[in-house]
Amino acid sequence: MLTAWGRSHIAKAGRLGSGPALGPQVAERLRSSLHRRLFGWLLLPLLVVLPVLGTALYRQVQHSAQSWLDDGLEDTALTLAGQIDLRGGTPRIDISVTMDRALRFDRQDDVFYVVLAPGGEVLQGDAGLVELRPLPPPQPAGSVHYGDVRLRGRELRLVQLGRDCGDGACQVLVAETLHKREALQREITTFVALNGVALALLLALAAGWAIRQGLAPLTDLSTELERRDLHRLTPLAARLPRELAPLQAAFNRLFERLNRASEAQREFLADAAHQLRTPLTSLQTEIELALLEPHDPRVDPLLQRLRQRVVRSARLAQQLLSLARAEDRSVDLGQRIDLRDIATESGQDWAHRPLPAGVDLGFELAEAPALGHAFLLRELLENLIHNAVSYAGAGARITVRCGSAPDGPWLEVEDNGPGIPAAERPAALLRFRRGDQATGTGTGLGLAIAADIAARHGGRLALLDAHGGPGLRARLSLPPVG
Amino acid sequence: MRILLVEDDEQLVETTARALRSQGWVVDCSARGEPVPRSLREDAYDLLILDIGLAGIDGFETLRRVRAEGLAVPVLILTARDAVEDRVRGLEGGADDYLVKPFALTELVARARALVRRSQARTSNQLQLARLRIDQEARRAYLDGEPLPLSAREWDVLGFLMTRAGKVVPKEHIALASNAWEQGVSDNAIEVCLSRLRAKIEPGGVRLRTVRGLGYLLEEIG
Repeated sequence: MLTAWGRSHIAKAGRLGSGPALGPQVAERLRSSLHRRLFGWLLLPLLVVLPVLGTALYRQVQHSAQSWLDDGLEDTALTLAGQIDLRGGTPRIDISVTMDRALRFDRQDDVFYVVLAPGGEVLQGDAGLVELRPLPPPQPAGSVHYGDVRLRGRELRLVQLGRDCGDGACQVLVAETLHKREALQREITTFVALNGVALALLLALAAGWAIRQGLAPLTDLSTELERRDLHRLTPLAARLPRELAPLQAAFNRLFERLNRASEAQREFLADAAHQLRTPLTSLQTEIELALLEPHDPRVDPLLQRLRQRVVRSARLAQQLLSLARAEDRSVDLGQRIDLRDIATESGQDWAHRPLPAGVDLGFELAEAPALGHAFLLRELLENLIHNAVSYAGAGARITVRCGSAPDGPWLEVEDNGPGIPAAERPAALLRFRRGDQATGTGTGLGLAIAADIAARHGGRLALLDAHGGPGLRARLSLPPVG
Repeated sequence: MRILLVEDDEQLVETTARALRSQGWVVDCSARGEPVPRSLREDAYDLLILDIGLAGIDGFETLRRVRAEGLAVPVLILTARDAVEDRVRGLEGGADDYLVKPFALTELVARARALVRRSQARTSNQLQLARLRIDQEARRAYLDGEPLPLSAREWDVLGFLMTRAGKVVPKEHIALASNAWEQGVSDNAIEVCLSRLRAKIEPGGVRLRTVRGLGYLLEEIG
């Protein structure tokens, strides 16, 4: 029960700790959405204001150009009006050919004019002009009228002025085609539009840059967060702007709580180990003492059996804890270690343990630098040796080997026992599965734990044939270093 | 030999103390760590066996206080916590050896004996293993009190192994034990020397065991 509780606890903590998988996603979403929102709110007013400003500018420039051109037209009309001769009582006008040419001279447009007597008779000019529509009413003397008119399907700009001609006002009409004006209008439109677009782009770029600058502390923060996992929950140290300080503080408080939780969990594991081991130790000691002290030799087999059972229970408790620890996401699997050191340490311990009759445990060790967790790998090897000792039978020759292959460091335990038929090997890696001929002190957990630990390290535990003849070779392969 | 056993599980104290006493040793027990430095100052103990999981100050703290007072008694740590970090912490804190629960009594006795022997080797020139005794100053070995004739090389190797009794010693280290060997001595020469030595000392209740591929282990026949 204790162990089950511990495991579910660990699993939860593990999920909490899956920071690296969660971090970039959240950070990315946060960043892009903030980016978009800020960008939107900055550019929206711009999109409304820019066309309004552009239109106003366009109108203003257009108006100035128009009145300037209109002034030119009016000058022509005034010149014509000045030619009206009133000396004879009736108005007369005489335009020389040269003057006519001068008046009509324009690089782009056709200029038409007509001078009308107060009665409406044509005094001079293009009589056809009176057909223009809409024909403005006669202007009183001294007044000027501008208008856009049509003449036989052509659009014209007209200026009409009245001139005092005794008993009424003569009318001077000057009109010109719109080529010049249209060209000018196009030019102004292009100018205003291009400038508007350029301005919009410039402002968008500036806004984008400003937003990125403004949000940079958030990006820094997420980079910092990515470096955290259950194993390294140091407070965030990034220098953040005032607005983000509460966020940083909240994260640091969260880390502190996580730290405490993961510390509590480690404590729990240690306590559970202690609680289980101390009574088992005193039981084992009791039995061993009974064996050492004078006793009835008839109970000897019983004591031996008891001792074996206790050793096995202790081993089982140990393995369940290892299993819990193997699944504990907070252990650091990136320690630089050498499988040779682990095997040597294991060898030192095994040298003192009683082995079944005739079992020869030997070592062939070469340098095997690897990344991993020393305790877990030690536990893995312990399980492989235990397994070999338990199942290979009396007189077995067991060899522990390690080394470095191009595809990574490896560690194997080979025995010359009965082995496991290839078909049964996958099942042998499942928990509490003991082989048919199994005897001895095996718990049925050893190979499963070893396989779990191998998987946690990104490695693999393979059950293979022994190099020569019958037997089992359990081989751990780890990923290459760096 | 006098041992101070600090352990708070009554059952375990009872059995462990009985086992140690069965070796003819004097055992005093304490359930807490606080009085340990004082006890060590007042009485001459040869060994402190210290549990980590104590009520009150724990074993690490007790060990720290012991060493802080400059007490040099050998310390064997008993721990139910097998995390490597704990072992390292214990050894760095000044422990001489550690034993993870549950342990076999024979192993506890062997480790205790080895520790005391090692500490005596620091202060005296006499080392004893079962009925084999060596005098490092006189460079002499005795079996049951009788002088044991040894060649210079054999003596170097035996002295080297005696100070490391209970540990598997790699062959390469043994090659360095004797000045009588020039550099690049063959494995064969070492093995010949070891097998002669083995024949000479085994009648004294000790055994020189080969751990294949790892080295040699000098131990008492338990």
